[in-house]
Amino acid sequence: MILAVVDDPFPYGWIPPYNTLVVAAGVASVGFAAGVVGCFAVLRRRALAGDAAAHATLLGIGLAFLLGGGRRDLPLLLAGALATAIAALLGLVLIGRWTRTRDDAATAIVLGVSFGAGITLLSGITARGIPGSAGLGQFLLGHTAGLTAADATILGAVSLLAVGMVALFLKESTLVAFDPLFAAASGWPVMLIDYALVVLVAVMVVVGLPAAGAVLVTALVVIPPVTARQWTDSVGVMLPLSGMFGLVAALSGVAVSSAVPRMPTGPLVVIAASVLLTVSLLIAPRRGGLARWLEARRTVAAWADGRLLEVALRLDGDGPFTREQLLARAPGAAADSAFKRLVRSAALEPVVTRGGTHAWRLAVWGRELAAERSRRVAAWTEVLEAAREDARGHLTIDVPSPEAILGAARMKAIRESAAAERVAGGPRPGQPWQPGQPGGGAGG
Amino acid sequence: MIDADSTHLWMHFWAIATAATVSAGCALVGSFLVVRRLSLLGDAISHAVLPGIVLAVLAGGRPGGAGVFLGAVVAALVTVWLTNLLGTHAGLAEDASAGVAFTTLFAIGVVLVSALASRVDIDPECVLYGILELVPFDTVSILSLEVPRALLAAAAVLIVLVIGAVLCWKELVFTAFDPAAARAAGLPVGVVSAGLLVATSLATVASFEAVGAILVVAMLAVPAAAAELLFRRFHVMLVVAVGLGVAGSILGYLAAWRFNTNAAGMIAVVLGIEYVVATLVAPGDGIVARVVSRESLRWRVACEDRLASLWRAEEGDATALAPRTLLDRLVQARLVFGGRINRGGSGGLTDIGREEARVIVRSHRLWEAWLGRHVALPLDHLHPPAEWIEHHLGAEVRGRIAADLEGHEGDPHGRDIPPEGFPPRTADEPAL
Repeated sequence: MILAVVDDPFPYGWIPPYNTLVVAAGVASVGFAAGVVGCFAVLRRRALAGDAAAHATLLGIGLAFLLGGGRRDLPLLLAGALATAIAALLGLVLIGRWTRTRDDAATAIVLGVSFGAGITLLSGITARGIPGSAGLGQFLLGHTAGLTAADATILGAVSLLAVGMVALFLKESTLVAFDPLFAAASGWPVMLIDYALVVLVAVMVVVGLPAAGAVLVTALVVIPPVTARQWTDSVGVMLPLSGMFGLVAALSGVAVSSAVPRMPTGPLVVIAASVLLTVSLLIAPRRGGLARWLEARRTVAAWADGRLLEVALRLDGDGPFTREQLLARAPGAAADSAFKRLVRSAALEPVVTRGGTHAWRLAVWGRELAAERSRRVAAWTEVLEAAREDARGHLTIDVPSPEAILGAARMKAIRESAAAERVAGGPRPGQPWQPGQPGGGAGG
Repeated sequence: MIDADSTHLWMHFWAIATAATVSAGCALVGSFLVVRRLSLLGDAISHAVLPGIVLAVLAGGRPGGAGVFLGAVVAALVTVWLTNLLGTHAGLAEDASAGVAFTTLFAIGVVLVSALASRVDIDPECVLYGILELVPFDTVSILSLEVPRALLAAAAVLIVLVIGAVLCWKELVFTAFDPAAARAAGLPVGVVSAGLLVATSLATVASFEAVGAILVVAMLAVPAAAAELLFRRFHVMLVVAVGLGVAGSILGYLAAWRFNTNAAGMIAVVLGIEYVVATLVAPGDGIVARVVSRESLRWRVACEDRLASLWRAEEGDATALAPRTLLDRLVQARLVFGGRINRGGSGGLTDIGREEARVIVRSHRLWEAWLGRHVALPLDHLHPPAEWIEHHLGAEVRGRIAADLEGHEGDPHGRDIPPEGFPPRTADEPAL
């Protein structure tokens, strides 16, 4: 019982009791394994099949309870749960093969009906007052307080076994997850690997039942992989990372629920996992919201700098120019701060004129910068013109998408600045191509 | 748990009426969800309305009251928004983002319920499977009749749903089956989808008290999916889905009463049984229909093969084997009974049998001859395809093949191809 004694969580001094430690270790390994196995469920888009299997476990628990003659023997109950979870997955396959019913409806049917059957059975058992039946409801929402050290050891062992299976067949599972057609063409038994992965998900769902409950255990399999995905593009990193997130979520959920009376474990585990996910969605490098926002800002700023330099280069031919002249020809929200940056980086240098008005001209380094930018714009224009001719002449779709090369944020910045210029009627070097208009922009 | 000794039949009547009303509304909405492949939207919404309901109750709304409905609809919209956000911004697959969004919201709801148990009168486990049996105890007096509040709420929602479906029927059906064309035709596809979303949350909230969050999924998807198997026209399917939902509710409640167990769970089980029956008896591609058509073909092939082998025996270059397997014996009996084979010991073909057998052998040999002439196959490769196609060639195709083979008498094995339709059947011979 993890931290079961709320008033005095450490009755043996600062070393928690043996049972607490074992249960914590068991739950931790369940969380870890669910995170690892769940990666493939998420990558193969089997998240909701796992949910259907999870809801079906209740029926198996009821059946195993009756078969076992009313003993609340955790391994027996979980074996029953596994049987019905796999039966539910089989039901999904059969519906897909034998009927017109589509996948989404099949999942909803299996989920709803098997859960209904489980509730019916458990309610029937409880209503008949069979001894020991009162605690079966704990599997609905999860309840780790009743776990013994022996139970936790079994849960942990099965979890580690599942992780071992994934590690053993890492290459095969990765191949099937990312390129099933190639895997099939290379002679791998894709169906077999696929089914094995789904069964492994069912195993994790069952093992996760005491910690998270039938209704929410799917979150233990889905949320940690999604969280890990935010941080990495590599499966080799994603698997252990996802496992660690699962471990942290499971442990903290269990710890909080043991401190609060009458609080089921499952929802807390899920909320812990969601908190990790939310934080990751915000601060993960590259994919996180913060990183994207900074990247977008940087892109917009760089673009504005370049536009300003280009205008400055043209004005510079007629001698020094004022800030107002410059900004009038390069409108846009970011132009003002771009001007400040150019001054600060000494790309523009001040010229003292008569009358005391500030005027500016391009410094040598600013001129080099502007020339390089013009060269790049010309080169791009040339490339795009060529690609355009190619696209027209040969009706090919093999023209690279500019978003793919420049990135969506940069394209957006370019479009916005172009739109602002059209509104302001500013200079339009390298005129954007309009459909139906013959080519003839700069550098063509 | 239903008290089997209860004499309060009135109570049971109200509970059944509530279940049936709730179920009808769910089946109505569910039909649109199923044809739009949005069944899991019902799943997501039914989980996610919980925090909305709890917060609305906490803010002073009565369970089943308007405030609670509003809270639930808002929660449903938040779920869908969250799912879309996860899909577009975090780049998640649809199932994963739905899985994340609804489990999280449901978890928040359960934690709220557990933490505020003293202030919110909701039992966290009943949230999952409802308390249909307790519905009749919370009543409102209307025209001196004590009507359960849940029934009133469900009936109001059902009326709103039916009116909405009738008024927007054209838009709903058009957008469900061809959203691109509907958009091109200028229909507000987004508004219709949002309306369906709100309808789903209304149906879910109305059902919440009676059947709980998860069994709503069964009520939404199962009758509609079963009706879709049975009927292809959408308006028929819709009516049948509602009928199946209502029937499932009544039977499920009665079964739960009989077996003394949870009514909402039993309703889901009965709906599941309805679905299984539908997969079996669906016309055309139901399992029974498929098995029957496959077996009847197998039977016809066996009969024709038997006739052909007897004909070949009469031709003199082979001996017909006596029937050995059970199928063979049944076929023999059928052919004797049908007047194709003589009764008694000889077991020879009757005239009708001979005529039918000759057509089959003719088909077989024509095909062999045609293959031998046009497709350079070795002699021993000609028999298997002919053995298969002899059961499927019509008179017209036989005529064309014969015309093509004009002047080439006999099949590649050197046997005669029996003539077509000779001797013609006389009028007094019985047609079978």
